[in-house]
Parts: sequence; structure tokens; C-alpha cells
Amino acid sequence: MTALFDLLSSGIVQTVMLGAAMLGAISGMLGAFAVLRRQSLLGDTLAHAALPGVCLGFLVAGARDLGSILFGAFATGALAALAVMLIVRRTTLKTDAALGVVLSVFFGVGVVLLTYLQAQGGAASAGLATFLFGQAAAILPSDLWIIGGIGLAALALVLAFWKEFELVSFDPDFARAQGLPVTLLEALLTIMVAFAIVAGLQLVGVVLMVALLIAPAAAARQWTRSLAGMVALSSLIGAASGVAGALISASARGLATGPLVVLIATSVVVLSLLLAPGRGLVWQAIRARQARARISDGRVLATLHGLAEAHRDAGYPAEKGMLETALGAMPPAARIASLERRGLIRPVSHPPETTPHWEMTEAGHAEAAALAGEAAGSTRDERP
Amino acid sequence: MSDEPLHEPQQALHVEDLTVTYGGTPALWDIDLDIPPGVMCAIVGPNGAGKSTLLKAALGLVRPVAGHVRFLGRPVRAMRGLIGYVPQRHSVDWDFPTSVLDVVAMGLYRRIGWFRRPGAADLERALAALAEVGMQDYAQRQISQLSGGQQQRVFIARALVQNAPILILDEPLAGVDAATEEIIINLLKRLRDERRTVIVVHHDLTTVQSYFDWLVMLNVRIVAQGPMAAVYTPDNLRTAYGRQLAMIATPAAETPP
Repeated sequence: MTALFDLLSSGIVQTVMLGAAMLGAISGMLGAFAVLRRQSLLGDTLAHAALPGVCLGFLVAGARDLGSILFGAFATGALAALAVMLIVRRTTLKTDAALGVVLSVFFGVGVVLLTYLQAQGGAASAGLATFLFGQAAAILPSDLWIIGGIGLAALALVLAFWKEFELVSFDPDFARAQGLPVTLLEALLTIMVAFAIVAGLQLVGVVLMVALLIAPAAAARQWTRSLAGMVALSSLIGAASGVAGALISASARGLATGPLVVLIATSVVVLSLLLAPGRGLVWQAIRARQARARISDGRVLATLHGLAEAHRDAGYPAEKGMLETALGAMPPAARIASLERRGLIRPVSHPPETTPHWEMTEAGHAEAAALAGEAAGSTRDERP
Repeated sequence: MSDEPLHEPQQALHVEDLTVTYGGTPALWDIDLDIPPGVMCAIVGPNGAGKSTLLKAALGLVRPVAGHVRFLGRPVRAMRGLIGYVPQRHSVDWDFPTSVLDVVAMGLYRRIGWFRRPGAADLERALAALAEVGMQDYAQRQISQLSGGQQQRVFIARALVQNAPILILDEPLAGVDAATEEIIINLLKRLRDERRTVIVVHHDLTTVQSYFDWLVMLNVRIVAQGPMAAVYTPDNLRTAYGRQLAMIATPAAETPP
């Protein structure tokens, strides 16, 4: 406990944590829109295309100045987005190929610039490599103002144009038919995503940035039913991953913050995919199992009910072999046991035969009749 | 902008010389089209005839290389909000996290205006529109839980809520069951009886005569247009559909029993 307190009272750790939290929140918020608009991979291209901009910004400013580096990153990112758009419109290449081509060309140029600058020497240029995978410890208290400013601007825009962004994300054609400036709104969303990426570079770097954009949104989608809920939860998951990554990284030597943040956010995704109520895989498996059990029980009851009716004997003892033949195979013992426990059937002996027999209770007959009624009702589907 | 002199104001939809190309090949060629107000018009034609493209070009969603479009004499940009549009159901992601009522309210976003949220009165109108398509009980439902026919009805409610004099629907009967088809067609007929203009891309030649009173036959060019009885002829059908026709309908079916 005191160790944690020591960590939290350290100025550097506080700066890193606050920075990571804000960056996570920003990318979580904007990532939700990017994921819903199926623009996640554009985010990846923008992130990789930021690297040459980082180097150019460094070249122009002559030092590691966050403002000029971010401006450079934003400029080349925008250029990359433009290139993708032109390729898709003017050539027969599809979006995925265009994204791949632009990503690798820009990233290639960035790496060449980076190695060139490092070969030129200078202590500051060594720090540039941190933009590949991020270095949260390099975040300065003064950087927090820039990150915070970007965050506030993005939040203000999202709140101001909330319903327009919602409509453009859901149905751009309808939005355009309504007379909304769809191209402008989509550009605004893409520019904000570019800002989020540029701001996040310091934390997770160009290579992993896209994960910070997608992971919180993908996780949040599993748990929510509204856009507002998804955007809020996505920001929260992003911020929490940032804080957790910063804390773990500060408490042990040699663990890089950025990749940790990405790993934490991704584990949240895995857990959400498995566990989220309704949508999670575990829930779906449980529901499928329940449905199978219900169908299996229903068939046993229907068979016994039918046999009893055929013999005009409500307590007709059905032999195991008959059930087996009627159902194609004997249901698992657990299902039979469950039916017995629910008091719908009961095991009986029927001498001189020594094989297991079951008869139906009154509750069982009622249940079978109810199930038959339900089945007949369900064929009348989709009534208004 | 609205001071522009009206051009062909007596037509609900007036299209002249419209040509649209996708990468060089014409999707629509030299379309001249007039649809008078108060009719229920079907646009039919084989696959790839440009039916959806015609709607999108009329609404300004795709840019034509030539020609112009007028609704009640005005260009579409002056008519936004007065045209209800129902896109193809498959054009959106139905797993989007939102409720049925919220989707219908989207039809009011233009009227609500910038920087404001839908209020109680807006949601009231959205509910009323849902009731018109028989979906009022589903207002709070997630849209991902709807069947195809229900999705289609939600889309129609979103267009109805605008209370527009012109409605444009892209394949509203594709993939819906018979009961839903009946609900939708009765609703559209009622709108027509209120003197609104209903323009529908339709794919089923066996029902087109009984549902609609105005017909446009399209196959990249206009094959024929006008009142149903005058246009639905074996000759026109053969021109529009060519050899596909034998599989679709019997053109001599209009002789009374």
C-alpha cells in the first residue's frame, strides 16, 4: 500500500498517469465513431503516416518540440488520408488496398527519415525512435496542456454536433438526402481522429496507436445499447487502460508503458467479447445449451405424452428402448434426471420386464400440452 | 436560391436529359421523366437497369454528368425536408447501438436544427410515426433485434415523421413477408389518397399492376412511362426485360377472366 502511495506521489508518475488517462479517453471517445463508421483501418494508416511528419517536425524545429512534431505528424497524416481518397476515387483499387499501399509508403519514408536523422547524430534525435513504440516517461508537464486542449476541443465538437455525427455514422445517404453537409461532417470526424492519433503517438507510438483507437470502442460496444453509452464507456475504458498501464510500468523496471496500455485495453476486449451479457460468447453458449436442453426435454415429454394417449393410460410406463427408438437416441442421463427432479416424469418398474421404465406425472402431461400449444403459436410469426 | 424561377412546377418529379456514369459506362442514359403529383408510381426494370441510381441522382446523392432534376419545380437542394427518403434496408449496419425510436427521430434532425437535441414533442411525433407502421410496441427495442420486415417499417416511419409531400422508397418490399408487404402497401396507398406522391423502386412484376397506378419502365434508358394501363403492355415489358421476361411474368395476363 505504501509502495502504491509512493508511486502516486511521484511527480513524474503523476504526469505520465494523467497524460495516459487523457490520451486513452480521447482515443476511446473518437475511436467509437471510427469503429462504427468502419474506419478503424484508416486510423492505422493515419498513425503510420504520422512518422515522416514527426521527423520533419523535428527537422524544422531542430529539437524535440511537441508542438512542431505534432503539427508535422498531423500534416503527413492528412496527406495520407487525401492520398487514400484520391486512389479510391481515381483508380480501380479498393479501399483496403489503397490503405495498405499508403500506409507502407508513408511508414517507409518515415523510417528512412528516422535512420537518416539518427545517423546525423545529436542527442535529441535519439529520442525520435521513441515515437515508433511510444515512451510515456517522456511526457512533460507542459505536454499535458496540449493533450488536454485537444481533448477539450474534441469533446466540445462531439457534444455540439452529437446528433449530426450519430446520423452520419449510422446512415450517411439518408443524412445527405436530409441536406446535412455530410462530407464536411465526415471530414471533421476524420480530422478529430487524426488529432487523437497525433496526441497518442507519445504514449503508444505509431505502430500500436490503432489499438488504442479500436480496443476501447470494441469493448464498449459489447456492453451498451446506445451511442451515448458506447462513447462514454469507450472513453472510460481508454482512460482506465492508460492509468493502469502507467501504474504497472512505473512499479516495475523495463516494462514500456505504451505497449502495456495496449495489452490492458486488448484484455478488456477479450473479456468483453466473452462475458458481456447478451452479446458475449459465454452467454451465447449458455443460451444455446439451454435451448438444446429445452428442445430435448420437450421431445421426451411429447413422446411419453403420445404413448400415454395411444394407450389411453395417463400413467403408461414407457420402456427405455421405446424412448430410444422414438427419439433416435436416449437423451443424456442428466436431462432425464432433471425431468424427474422437476416432477414431470417418474421412474417405475414394469415386471416382468427388468429394463428401466418411466411414466408421466400429471404435471408432465400439463407441461407437454403447454409446450404443444406454444409450438403451434410460434408459427404465427411477426404479427404487427 | 429559392428565388430561382420554377421549372415544370406542375410535376412532382421532373427529370430532363439525366445521364449518370460509373467509371465511363452509363448507368443512366438521357433520362427524360415526369411524375405528376398524387400518384403512386413504381419504377421497374431488370437488374442493373439503374433504378436505385435514378433515385439517388434525383436526390442529389450521386452527381450526374448531364441533365437536371426538379421536384415541384424546384431543385432538390431547395426541397430538402419536403422529400421523405427510404434507402435500401441493407445500406446500413443494423448492429448500430441505438433504439427504434431514436432511428425514427433521425427523420426530424433537420427540422430540429443545429446544436439542439430532440425534445419530448419530437419523440411524440416519432412514436406516432411508429404507430402508423404498427411498430409502436417496439419503440425502445434495440434495432439489432428487429426482423427484416420490422427494419423496413422502421425506415418507413423515419421518412413518415417528416410529413413530406413526396416519398421516395428504394425496394421497400425486398425480403419482407406477406403480412408486412400488405401493411406497407396499404400505408403507401393511404398516403397517395392524401394526395402525396409516392415513388417506389419495385422488383415484383406480378404485383406491380395491383399496387401502383403509375409506371416507369427503365433499362438504362426510359422504356416507357405513364399511367399503369397504358404502360404495362407486352411490348414494353419485352423491350425492358428482353429474354429475362419469360421467367418473371406472363405479359398477356391483363385480359380479364
